[in-house]
Amino acid sequence: MLLRGSGTAGPWGWLTLLLVACAARASEITFELPDNAKQCFYEEIVQGTKCTLEFQVITGGHYDVDCRLEDPGGAVLYKEMKKQYDSFTFTASRNGTYKFCFSNEFSTFTHKTVYFDFQVGEDPPLFPSENRVTALTQMESACVSIHEALKSVIDYQTHFRLREAQGRSRAEDLNSRVAYWSIGEAVVLLVVSIGQVFLLKSFFSDKRTTTIHVGS
Amino acid sequence: LALYFHSGEREEKCIIEDIPTDTLVIGNYKVQRWDIHKHEFLESAPGLGMFVTVTTPSAEVLLSKLYGPEGTFSFTSHLSGEHIICLQSNSTRFIAFAGSKLRIHLDIRVGEHFLDESVLQAKDKVNAVNFRLEHLIEQIHHISKEQNYEREREEKFRKTSEETNSNILWWAIVQTLILISIGIWQIKSLRDFFISKKLV
Repeated sequence: MLLRGSGTAGPWGWLTLLLVACAARASEITFELPDNAKQCFYEEIVQGTKCTLEFQVITGGHYDVDCRLEDPGGAVLYKEMKKQYDSFTFTASRNGTYKFCFSNEFSTFTHKTVYFDFQVGEDPPLFPSENRVTALTQMESACVSIHEALKSVIDYQTHFRLREAQGRSRAEDLNSRVAYWSIGEAVVLLVVSIGQVFLLKSFFSDKRTTTIHVGS
Repeated sequence: LALYFHSGEREEKCIIEDIPTDTLVIGNYKVQRWDIHKHEFLESAPGLGMFVTVTTPSAEVLLSKLYGPEGTFSFTSHLSGEHIICLQSNSTRFIAFAGSKLRIHLDIRVGEHFLDESVLQAKDKVNAVNFRLEHLIEQIHHISKEQNYEREREEKFRKTSEETNSNILWWAIVQTLILISIGIWQIKSLRDFFISKKLV
């Protein structure tokens, strides 16, 4: 059993690194959810892993969706109806397949674009501490702090991008609604007023002039 | 490969990626077919393949290839915008075949290239820091590209809002003018009509 290598990590270092690397996963997907549809996603999680599910509706209708998260036994861990944005953190209490579903079944004709980010486990440390003789050098700790800062920058950027996409979608909706309704109103105005005059004129058409003279 | 979802045999499942220009996107997938006799998903399904289609924001097809049951695809965006990645199996079975579904494992990575841990372990400490620094520089480039793209989108958003504002003003003026001119026309027309009918 080779436990101590000469300057390079032994097989156990490899194995632990692989295990730790496997434990951290993040999946973010943006997909379109048609009306009256439900889309479920599954993931196998090891007991004790801290997981975060975050979702946001980007376009469509009232920008809301139903979300439901179940553990392997079918127990509902999180259930919210008609939510626009939410973030839910939980620790896996048992091994198995966790399932989360997004439902647009309450909507009759609007498609929704939904974004979700499912983070499983923590990220592995940048400089693993198995074969260390000294503490992290200044370079290494600078790398670690820059990495953390960049991760939060990317996180904020994603949130901002989604909010902006949602705002832009609303603005475009508003713009097309204003255009169509204004044109519609102008047309209705013209039709009604011209129609009124001709209708009035038809009341005084030639066949009825005799009845009007009676009153004078 | 971790996250998976279910899909019908001939169903096309699409995901949307809103990305800036010159961004590399790598996708990993694995597909399994449901076996009605064993009531479970088969570990491997020979002959089963997936059509991967990538459509750019200008509706042209960037990538359209058939891969096996497990595969990796990648593409680099030339335009910034919403790229649509669609997966559809090449199964020739009838859609009405009851109980048949597919399990698709999917992992999409955008922009930053993930660390290759084995390469890291092979090198010594100085190179390890070099490697991390290169990765950080790449992350920063990706953030910078995203920021530029965000600026473009925000400009489009602002233009739309300003257009809505001027639309409302313009249409209100037009409608008022229509109202006034139609009113004048109505009165004149009715007055002429009554005069001609010798009612006034």
